[in-house]
Amino acid sequence: MVRNETPVRLRLLSALTAAAAAALLLATGLVMARVQDQVRVIGHQAAPQAVTAAGLYFALSDLDAQATRILLAGDEDTLAGSRLDALGAYRERGRQIDAGLQDLLAAGAGDLERRLVTEVRDGLAVYRQRIGQALAAQPHSAAEALGHYTQATNVLHLDLLPDAARLRAVSEERLTRAYEAKRGTEATADAVVVLLGGALLILLAGLQVWLARRFRRTWNPALAAATALSLALLVAVSSVAGAQERRLTGARVDALEPYLALSELRAVGYDAAADTSRYLVSGNLAHYREDFTVKSRQLRALDPVAGERWQAYERGHERILALTDAGRRDEAITVLTGIRRGDAAFDFAYFDAAVAAVTDVQKTDFDRGLRDAERVLTGAVVLPVVTLVVIIGLIGIGVRRRLAEYR
Amino acid sequence: MRVAVLILLLALAACSAPPEPAPEPISCASGTTGGQGSSAQTSALQAWIKAYQIACPDATIAYAGTGSGAGVRAFLDGEGDFAGTDSALSGQDLRKAAERCGGPVVHLPLVAGPIALAYNVAGVGELRLTPETIAEIFSGKVTAWDDPAIAATNPLAALPSTAIRTIHRADGSGTTDNFTRYLAAAAPGRWPHGAGSTWRAPGGTGEKGSHRVVAAVGRTDGAIGYVESSYALLNDLPVVRIGPAGGPFTEPTNSAVAGALLRATITDDLRIAPRYDGTADYAYPLVLISYELVCRTGTPALTRSFLAYAAGPSGQAAAGSALPEELRTRVEQSVLALT
Repeated sequence: MVRNETPVRLRLLSALTAAAAAALLLATGLVMARVQDQVRVIGHQAAPQAVTAAGLYFALSDLDAQATRILLAGDEDTLAGSRLDALGAYRERGRQIDAGLQDLLAAGAGDLERRLVTEVRDGLAVYRQRIGQALAAQPHSAAEALGHYTQATNVLHLDLLPDAARLRAVSEERLTRAYEAKRGTEATADAVVVLLGGALLILLAGLQVWLARRFRRTWNPALAAATALSLALLVAVSSVAGAQERRLTGARVDALEPYLALSELRAVGYDAAADTSRYLVSGNLAHYREDFTVKSRQLRALDPVAGERWQAYERGHERILALTDAGRRDEAITVLTGIRRGDAAFDFAYFDAAVAAVTDVQKTDFDRGLRDAERVLTGAVVLPVVTLVVIIGLIGIGVRRRLAEYR
Repeated sequence: MRVAVLILLLALAACSAPPEPAPEPISCASGTTGGQGSSAQTSALQAWIKAYQIACPDATIAYAGTGSGAGVRAFLDGEGDFAGTDSALSGQDLRKAAERCGGPVVHLPLVAGPIALAYNVAGVGELRLTPETIAEIFSGKVTAWDDPAIAATNPLAALPSTAIRTIHRADGSGTTDNFTRYLAAAAPGRWPHGAGSTWRAPGGTGEKGSHRVVAAVGRTDGAIGYVESSYALLNDLPVVRIGPAGGPFTEPTNSAVAGALLRATITDDLRIAPRYDGTADYAYPLVLISYELVCRTGTPALTRSFLAYAAGPSGQAAAGSALPEELRTRVEQSVLALT
């Protein structure tokens, strides 16, 4: 009876252990493949989309700033270079906006994003038409040009920028969802490791003990190797999952989120600087003075270097408004467009360089974090699968001779 | 085991791609310097000044785009540390400059680009012209767009019978100087009006400034005018391809200008005499070269540092200049040799 029970129990225990290994193989492979795919979605869709949406807001802000520069330069000989420069920047921002909208649609946009992109495109067509009308009217009638310009800048501030802000918010929500989905998969991975991995280890140890007692042998090398490999695999899977999570979360918290926030402030800076020009173009409309003041408050809180440079721009802004109010428009334009230290165009470029230096570092850090996370996951599917196939093979080798005794 | 995993992770991290090379840092100097002259250089100078002042907090640089003639006169009178000019000095000016400097004056060709012929002709998206035809158009001898001389190099174009309306600069300009020098050299038999910064041919419409030339071309059916190519490009105007009767016809691009400059005669002190004899190697011969004039000795450290940045790869990229690398290196070496 004892002799009859032994092979059955041996087969049963071996089959159970191999089945646990096979289940772990399947689950680990699926879960790690899912994590890899989710990291790819974050790095190649959700995060770039958030960056594109932030860039769109910035480009729209600067588009109007450049249009304002073009109008301000007008037909003045001394400002011909400034006008050409602004015209080049206006075209470049236009291209950036068109490409950004296309990218937002291409990266698996939902219904809301599609609707917002369509609205921005419609609004942009109206905006460009109004700017074209303003430029066409400028040589003949400054009042007509101002009328068209007012409509254009209203379309931009009341329709386009709010839509772009919504697109930015939707993209950031999408990014958050992508991170949450990945965290869900990681929780599954942890459960798989604990439950199936734990079961495999217990079964391997049980088989080892049972064989030692039943056959009076102290050690089964193949099963010992399978146990050690299983343990190493579980530790490795757990470590890799944790390492990619730390890198990707760190990249978001330490780099991407500050980058997106600073990009928004940079856009506010461009829009605020354009208010200085708008004040002149509009014939001293107080609205633009007040608008500048509101935007400027946000910018003073920037890091010490950028904040200090913004305050220098503010002083230039006040000087320009004072000259304009005193009827010294030509002098005001000289200060506005000049690139000497203390002139507005230089002080703004100086401020922008400080902000750009920070955003460039943040963007590079995020890209590096993403690359690191992807690199950590290299082989995260293949290695566990190969290891578990080897473990199943070792289980077979470990019990083969004992089973042969009963043939 | 955890140690082994960490070693594996570190090994993978070590395989990461090297960081992208940063642009070469500007070697800063401090103080104040300034110059005046060519308005064609204003955009390039503004880009350089902004970048230099941002990188070098103790430096202040000023440039006034007063025009090449006024800039050179001021430099000869001892004003400023450098001058911008669209034409190299010669004869008496060269001697006066040597007096001002107490030694040789150095020409630094820092800005180069194509002069484009922008046009506005119904139904014509691509236009190919020889230097001879261009000379006859601007001389007022070819007066309609369907003239056989134009049709000969544009056999596939549906040329309209619209009258040709030429637009030229009404003010003295380096662009006119370089354009008329090209016509005088490339089509001497068809261009009897000589070369100079003031327009001398009869007829046409004069406009002050490149911005007004492109505006006039843009609003006039049948118009053609010459401008620095950025004006045509940024105002979305089509531009003429230039070449000999048998082709090839070349577009005004920076690379085609670089090709032309490689074939130019360049003196030891970097004065450039472009070759205007055709575009067989796809070079674009109608070029505008703008120089910085500085004294070989006694030039302030800040001026030298600023010009070294302008002649470097970053400075040239910021200005969108078309200097070929070989020439750029020579200019950079000349700057470094200033004392």
